[in-house]
Amino acid sequence: MSMQSLNQLVARSIIDPGVVQAFGAGHIGDILSDLDFSSELRGRLSELKAETWAEYAVMAYRVIRAAAQPAVRIQLPSPAEGLLPSQVRADRRHVA
Amino acid sequence: MISITPEEGRWLLRNLARGLVEYLGVVEPPVPVEELLEHPPSLYDMDLGVVNMYSHLWDATFARTPSQRGSIFVRIDLPSDERRYALAREILTALITSVHGRALGLPDLLLPSLRAWAEFFARHLLVPDALVDAFRQRGGDENGLAEAFLIPPRVAAQRWDEPALSMN
Repeated sequence: MSMQSLNQLVARSIIDPGVVQAFGAGHIGDILSDLDFSSELRGRLSELKAETWAEYAVMAYRVIRAAAQPAVRIQLPSPAEGLLPSQVRADRRHVA
Repeated sequence: MISITPEEGRWLLRNLARGLVEYLGVVEPPVPVEELLEHPPSLYDMDLGVVNMYSHLWDATFARTPSQRGSIFVRIDLPSDERRYALAREILTALITSVHGRALGLPDLLLPSLRAWAEFFARHLLVPDALVDAFRQRGGDENGLAEAFLIPPRVAAQRWDEPALSMN
């Protein structure tokens, strides 16, 4: 939903001067408060610093994309695997 | 100034195109690109004129007069699908170089690769995600896309292969 809200805001900005005016006046938080962002994400987006609205939009996109990415988990083999006979390990892999 | 990745540029352009489509209130193809030029958002009153010309050099090109009034100069003898695509492509230049486009900061991000961006933008202005999704759901295929959206077949082939905008 957050990305959808950002998409809507960027789409609106091309025809609504109010978006860039709010950004230029340092009031982008007022615009964000009307959209469907979590309070934590809204806070992060409000604190972004950019020279232009377009740069801000891209930076916001990066923040929301990063927030949406699942945490990377290191996939290690089970420690028990090395204790099994090799044929059993192969069978288990085949079943899986 | 930040630099943007191709993916970020595509995301930005899809949303800019979407804004114009929403302004037009389009609910089914084809997107009335000539109507956008005839009745643009008031922000672009000075930027989106059309001048038909006889030319063998190009299909369409955007230019501004010394008074800063912008127009797309388009070949008068283009087939309608090619004309629509050429106009849609040049609209991006008009937007980027407009007073509002400059206020948004679009030139810094998009001018360096304008030609490639403009073609991408045109595909998404003429074939918005929402409409192509509906077209697919109704069983539309790549061959029918060009006819339904009044775009050149080569453009339809490119657009057909482009994934939908991420909503996550």
